[in-house]
Amino acid sequence: MSQKSWYLNRRELLRGGGIGLSLPFLNGMSFAGGSDRPLPAKRMLVSYFAYGAYMPNGSSGIPAANKPHHDWSWWPCSQPGPLTFNQSSAPFEPLKAEVTYLRGLDHKGGWSMGGHSSGDVFATGADMTEHEKTNNISVDQVAANAQGHQTRYASLTLGTEGGTGSYGSSKTLSHRGPGRPIPSLHKPQDIFNRLFNPYAGKGVEQVRAGLKREASILDLLMENSRSFKNRLGNEDQVKVDEYLDSIRVLEQRVERTSQWTHKSLPQVDTKGLNIEVSHKDPQEYIRCMYDLIFLAFQTDATRFASLMLESEQSQDSEMWNYATYVLGYKGATHDIAHKRPTDYSGKWDRWRAEQHAYFLNRLRDTPEGNGTMLDHTVVLWGSSHPHASHSTKHYPIQLAGGSGLGFKHGNLHAFEGDQKVPLANLFVSMLNAVDVPVERFADSTGNMSQLMS
Amino acid sequence: MKRSMLSGQLFGLVKRWLCACFLWVSGFSLIGNALAEDPASRETFDAKVSPFLQKHCVRCHGGENPKGDLLISRLSDTIAAESDIDHWEMVLERVSSGEMPPEGEPQPSKAATDAVVEWIESGMQDYVSILDQPPTTPHARRLTNFEYQNTIRDLIGFELNLIDRLSKDPVKPYQFNNTAALMRLGPEQVNRYLECARMVMASAIVDPQKPTVHRTYREFKPHGVDKGLGLDEVGVWGNRRHSPATGIGVKEFSSTGEYRIRIKAAAILPPGVEELPLRLVMGFGINVNSATEQIEPVGTVRLRNSPDEPQVFEFRGRIENHPAKPGRVVKGKQLPASMTITPQNLYDDGTLNDGRRDLAMPRAVIEWIEMEVPVVDVWPPTHHTQILFDSSLRVSDPRAYVRQVLKRFMSRAYRRPANQAEVERFLAIHDLVAPELGSMEAAMRETLAMVLVSPQFLYHTTAADDDSLRGYEQASKLSYFLWGSMPDQELFELAADGRLGDQTVVEEQVRRMLADERASDFVDNFATQWLSLRKLKTVPVNRDLFPRFLYYVNAGERRGTEVPYRPTIRDHMHAETVGFVGELIRRNASVLNLIDSDFAYLNQPLAAHYGVDGVKGDALRPVSLTPDHRLGGLLTQGAILIGNGTGTAPHPIYRAVWLREAILGDAVPAPPAEVPALNESVGESAENALTIAELLQQHRKQESCNDCHTRLDPWGIPFEQYNAIGRFQPLVPEAGTRVSGFNRQTHHDLVGYNAYLKSIHTVSVDAKARLPGGFVVDGMRELKDYLLHDRQDEIVENVLRRLLSYAIGRELTWRDRFAVAKLLENGKQRDYKFQDLIVLICNSKTFRGE
Repeated sequence: MSQKSWYLNRRELLRGGGIGLSLPFLNGMSFAGGSDRPLPAKRMLVSYFAYGAYMPNGSSGIPAANKPHHDWSWWPCSQPGPLTFNQSSAPFEPLKAEVTYLRGLDHKGGWSMGGHSSGDVFATGADMTEHEKTNNISVDQVAANAQGHQTRYASLTLGTEGGTGSYGSSKTLSHRGPGRPIPSLHKPQDIFNRLFNPYAGKGVEQVRAGLKREASILDLLMENSRSFKNRLGNEDQVKVDEYLDSIRVLEQRVERTSQWTHKSLPQVDTKGLNIEVSHKDPQEYIRCMYDLIFLAFQTDATRFASLMLESEQSQDSEMWNYATYVLGYKGATHDIAHKRPTDYSGKWDRWRAEQHAYFLNRLRDTPEGNGTMLDHTVVLWGSSHPHASHSTKHYPIQLAGGSGLGFKHGNLHAFEGDQKVPLANLFVSMLNAVDVPVERFADSTGNMSQLMS
Repeated sequence: MKRSMLSGQLFGLVKRWLCACFLWVSGFSLIGNALAEDPASRETFDAKVSPFLQKHCVRCHGGENPKGDLLISRLSDTIAAESDIDHWEMVLERVSSGEMPPEGEPQPSKAATDAVVEWIESGMQDYVSILDQPPTTPHARRLTNFEYQNTIRDLIGFELNLIDRLSKDPVKPYQFNNTAALMRLGPEQVNRYLECARMVMASAIVDPQKPTVHRTYREFKPHGVDKGLGLDEVGVWGNRRHSPATGIGVKEFSSTGEYRIRIKAAAILPPGVEELPLRLVMGFGINVNSATEQIEPVGTVRLRNSPDEPQVFEFRGRIENHPAKPGRVVKGKQLPASMTITPQNLYDDGTLNDGRRDLAMPRAVIEWIEMEVPVVDVWPPTHHTQILFDSSLRVSDPRAYVRQVLKRFMSRAYRRPANQAEVERFLAIHDLVAPELGSMEAAMRETLAMVLVSPQFLYHTTAADDDSLRGYEQASKLSYFLWGSMPDQELFELAADGRLGDQTVVEEQVRRMLADERASDFVDNFATQWLSLRKLKTVPVNRDLFPRFLYYVNAGERRGTEVPYRPTIRDHMHAETVGFVGELIRRNASVLNLIDSDFAYLNQPLAAHYGVDGVKGDALRPVSLTPDHRLGGLLTQGAILIGNGTGTAPHPIYRAVWLREAILGDAVPAPPAEVPALNESVGESAENALTIAELLQQHRKQESCNDCHTRLDPWGIPFEQYNAIGRFQPLVPEAGTRVSGFNRQTHHDLVGYNAYLKSIHTVSVDAKARLPGGFVVDGMRELKDYLLHDRQDEIVENVLRRLLSYAIGRELTWRDRFAVAKLLENGKQRDYKFQDLIVLICNSKTFRGE
């Protein structure tokens, strides 16, 4: 996948040829009038890991009641209630008061997709195999639609492989709506430039002039497309509506970008940030992605992010070899999911936990308002490919942060048997916590008041 | 009246069912009944259907937990709405195929079954005939990425790699990504179209002044022989420092334009070898970073000349298609981007993994390599003057000239004449950008780029608002079906003359188009999706069991991984299957050859793999078979067998699913959540090897699995004679024996390895299966015979359905049953010849949208 710089001088671009992108690539941005922020921002991150987690003592992701808890199970403990930690989850022990584990949750829409493919719907809960033919809007985009206008970027979509992927092997968690995946960004340098150096050294006036012309062109394109629409029958007009809608969104982006040029770019502290990191160094790379989200949150460049830490079906990327690089495991990362080697599976989960804990710690160690950044950031971490190769039920799910938004942590909650509720219920609570007053998301049947203080 | 008109179709359908499910007895008497009384009536339901359901179905499909989510009591007693049909169609399929009632349950008489089949069938037909609308076929279909790239190629006259710059098309196994309902559009995609369009026009339109030509040249001398090879030689494993095998660096090149690479080369050929395929690749370099594909082939030449007669070979291509290595920043200074041209010796006789080294293989001798870019022999180049053509208007009336340029370009991009209003709208865009962009070239680049993001370009086969444009619509339908691209001049002319409504003309055109090189794009795209071939490349082949199957990097950081930058046996296998289908179309052979054929489509590495003698060289070609080869048809091809295996063991369930989905046309439901996968341990560790039959038995013991698997597993068992790398292997380790593992020291060469295999594989594989319906087959040969004799119509019908679905860009529904039945009947009269079937489809009402 080729990547392009976010903003180039249009005059040079059009004269000189070569690749060009005049429109901001990131999500819609809107200009917030005032610069003062009396209240800390309310933020959300949805992150995903692939190929499941190790759950040795329980065939369907639920630890067996009659056995002692396994030291290397992904679940920190087996009994619902206050958390105790095992080898696998030890990195979260210092964060005990900031994390919650939720067992027995899943998306019904992913049940018949097969383990690997159900990753597609982790953030959307779409029912792709039954009623919906395509994926649907993701939780971060619902939030971005409602609250994204307050920041330069409505949302930030990251992944480790980049792009959209395709049905059954999505490389992004974020979807604008049916059949409209948002390509994830995966190159640190590129992400950094888009976030913090969007004008590529150009003067603001020059940028504005280019945007103005772009807006006029899009306007003329709209007119042309309307005439096309009139030629079509009713059943096909919906397609042109999609097209018109897309052009409209691009116009709005141009407009918002233009407005944001009146506001100075955030100063960002890049100390310790290694944006030239190689995929061959998994720890550095993953932490760099987390760092970029941290910086985006810290500078209030955006409040809603998704991060596909690993995508399923990663055989075309270095992800495939991560377990080899990190642990010396002789096989593809994917093989761990199927073969479940006793000496590697737990260590692999632990390594992933260390990276995620790194991010949570960074948020917790940064004061904000009366508390910390973590208090105002709700972080979902999980997988929809839980334990065995066919399984699509009982996801491993951890929720962290957001104490200042009403979440109460420190427990394992079990939603099994007659307690079972859709994972989408959690999404409803997460959305409510960031001031998105929805009552439903995907197949939700309510919210999760038991997690709220 | 209505009924007698349709009886021909009905006959075809009924015959199919009878043929597929029961012994052929008396199709005609059934038709007689159908004409005598109204089989769709309520009376028939009460008299025949209802008792049947009560007797044979309700016990399992009633009550609290109906099996298969089918509740008989919810079925309606008439077929009068779409929702009824969905359910009834399922009943129809299960009952007519003999799948239901299942074995072990009391079986209904044939007459009883016939009556039910007939009632459902007639009801559906009545319902279809009262609908005033035919099945809706989408009028606006967005170009798939594949079609987009091809269309741009035919529009501007050279190919640019654009697919990777676009959002991926949705892909579902066994379905086609041109299904209009799946082709949604969002701002991100439009944004990518915008980027691509500007990139395309930056390449297509050049500046008037001749640009600087960049030249790179490097000579090689044989001095300093290393391990027996001169330093001007390229062996099959390449990689020696200072030799041409590590490539030559290109430090200066333009960002757009055509390049020319010349190479003076010869081959050192051992006795018996006639040619050496030498491939040039250019890009980031093949020895740098393994993360992504970073080279692009330049071209291949087959060297036959000896070093005494070196020859010069020339290649052309577009510099935009080759990924450059970005320049680093050193001490604050930006260094320029660079590329590497690497010659690769692609000779492969199938023994590359046998520890035989370069000296035993043919070697290429390279005297020099030269590259220049851009090529300025003709300036401005033809692709430029096709758009900005010479005209006196250019000076005398620039505005009129722009109008003409727009009209000409848009009429091709829109695949129909652009009208005045459309041209004026883009003239407005031109007027907007021209003052700021300065030159005519720059303004036209931007304006025409906007044409390429307009919906009239991005969507094809649009509904015409006046009849004079109907022909263009048909031309696009044909060209996107058979070429995956826009119509050519001949089709445009026929469209303008209104001749594409003539069935003879269409037939001529279809045959002409299939003979054209562009049809290979269609065959590849269609076959890859239809047969779900992509899996082939991602199955992890077990290197301990099959150490000689893949080509491995034998040293360095990537040691032990598959060689990334040369075609491997898997690439050949993909080409084999696609080429085989293409050959059937080219020969206009019966589609039943898909099941069994008297030829295979092979090159030397494939022939070595399958054990076929006498095939030399890397070009794929039809090769005659004898029964001993155990080949023929799709079922024994590596692409199918490996893609539907685990890489360690054959996987009868994957293969059964493939057979039912891709060949028999059944939709096989995915396993429900929480079902553990079939244990992969067959052969994985030789110690606890179970026979596959035992494993399947274990699987079937679970009640939840049994329902589906009794109908599925038997289809996969005959495939057991073919191992995980797609080779005929009738012997397996004895059940329950301990087998010592493969030892790299003891069994280091091919002879030792074969001896090892022989020592562990001692008993015949169990490939005997009782198929649903009770027919017993033992092994692949008998399975093929059964399919050819008993499932013929089903197989052909499936090919027709796939072709039709691909051609019209939507999934077929129950409404299309009768149209397909008619195609099947007509196809039978033409002996199911592949090309003829395609002609029938292109002349069908469904395709034409009538």
